[in-house]
Amino acid sequence: MARSSHETARYVYGVVRAGTGGKPRGKGIDGKPLRIVAADRIGALTSEVPVGPLEAGRDELLTHSRVLEQALKRGVVLPMRFGVVMPDDSTIQQELLGAHRERLEAQLDEMSGKVEFNVKAIYDEPSILREVLAENGEIARLREAVAGKPEDATYYERIQLGELVAQALTAKQAADEQRVVDRLAPHALAVEVGGALHERMAVNAAFLVDEEQLGPFDRALDEVAAENGGRLRFKSVGPLPPHSFVELSVEA
Amino acid sequence: MATAMQTQPYRGGSGYVARSSSSGLYDVLELILDKGLVIDVFVRVSLIGIEILTVDARIVIASVDTYLRFAEAVNRLDLMATETQGLPEMMDGLTEGGASSKTKGVLQGAKEALFGDEDEDEDEGDKQPARRRSSSSSKSSRRRSGSSGGSSKGSSKS
Repeated sequence: MARSSHETARYVYGVVRAGTGGKPRGKGIDGKPLRIVAADRIGALTSEVPVGPLEAGRDELLTHSRVLEQALKRGVVLPMRFGVVMPDDSTIQQELLGAHRERLEAQLDEMSGKVEFNVKAIYDEPSILREVLAENGEIARLREAVAGKPEDATYYERIQLGELVAQALTAKQAADEQRVVDRLAPHALAVEVGGALHERMAVNAAFLVDEEQLGPFDRALDEVAAENGGRLRFKSVGPLPPHSFVELSVEA
Repeated sequence: MATAMQTQPYRGGSGYVARSSSSGLYDVLELILDKGLVIDVFVRVSLIGIEILTVDARIVIASVDTYLRFAEAVNRLDLMATETQGLPEMMDGLTEGGASSKTKGVLQGAKEALFGDEDEDEDEGDKQPARRRSSSSSKSSRRRSGSSGGSSKGSSKS
């Protein structure tokens, strides 16, 4: 990475409690050492970057994530969004830590001992299409109607068929999302439903879980996944820092 | 993208959930580009490559092509009850319907080519966009930080 500037700025990964958890371990973006810029009881987890545009490549994105995951192991951390760069230490101390101290300290307290889990569930396509066929007479009828006929002759029927399938899947997605979230929510402090990122995705939700509740949350996840075995594939990422549950308003 | 990636090791109680303690590139995109603290517009520097990444990560399709692919998928579906099925097809049907399906839908391959398989994280779909670095245009990703928090994810993509 040819960054030829000798001027440096501070990349900010997140906000932590200063003076706890010891020195940050690991490397930041471009292999630069991590450093905490503190002001009173709170601090920003930073590393040096050149002044100017920041490359948002695979390495940089993953490093941002890894640094925060490591920080979480040492204590509570409020993740910044990717790409926050400030010119120097005093700007961090004044405009981030100083100006927003109250909100930041409140959220550090609030997020202490809590972690985020991201749960996604993906449909097994053959299984879900079978369900759609079995539950929807019109789709089954149209399928029969176009079966074995030349594609050219059934163009519009096939579009109609596909559209009905897409509609049926959308309805299924909403129902499955609700069902899964309802099962997991009792074991979480907060839920952020992200919505499906593509048509095979049934559930995409973030859960804020108290570390004391990890066992029950995991069991509930296993149960709902087992009940949907064969039709939905579940993926859970976590424990993560509470990306989806922190906020800071510049107008504050 | 010919192979189905089974990258996440299954662990945990039931074996029905692929658990990972660390986010892959696919998860990262959603989490760290759209969520987390932002304090002001001016401190968020221009990011090279970010527009491509986010656009590629969220393709919403509702088109004739999609419908035709769905139609093809249901048409090719082997129904277990079909009497014209030979034994091998019956077996396929049963396997596919079973709890531990290892088979891949006809259409699935095509869609993975479009979306990338969300399980693969690191190795396929995301790689190229992430590596595609434009030296000529550094698109600055300006976001109103005042609208941060909660569900600001939809900004320009959904």
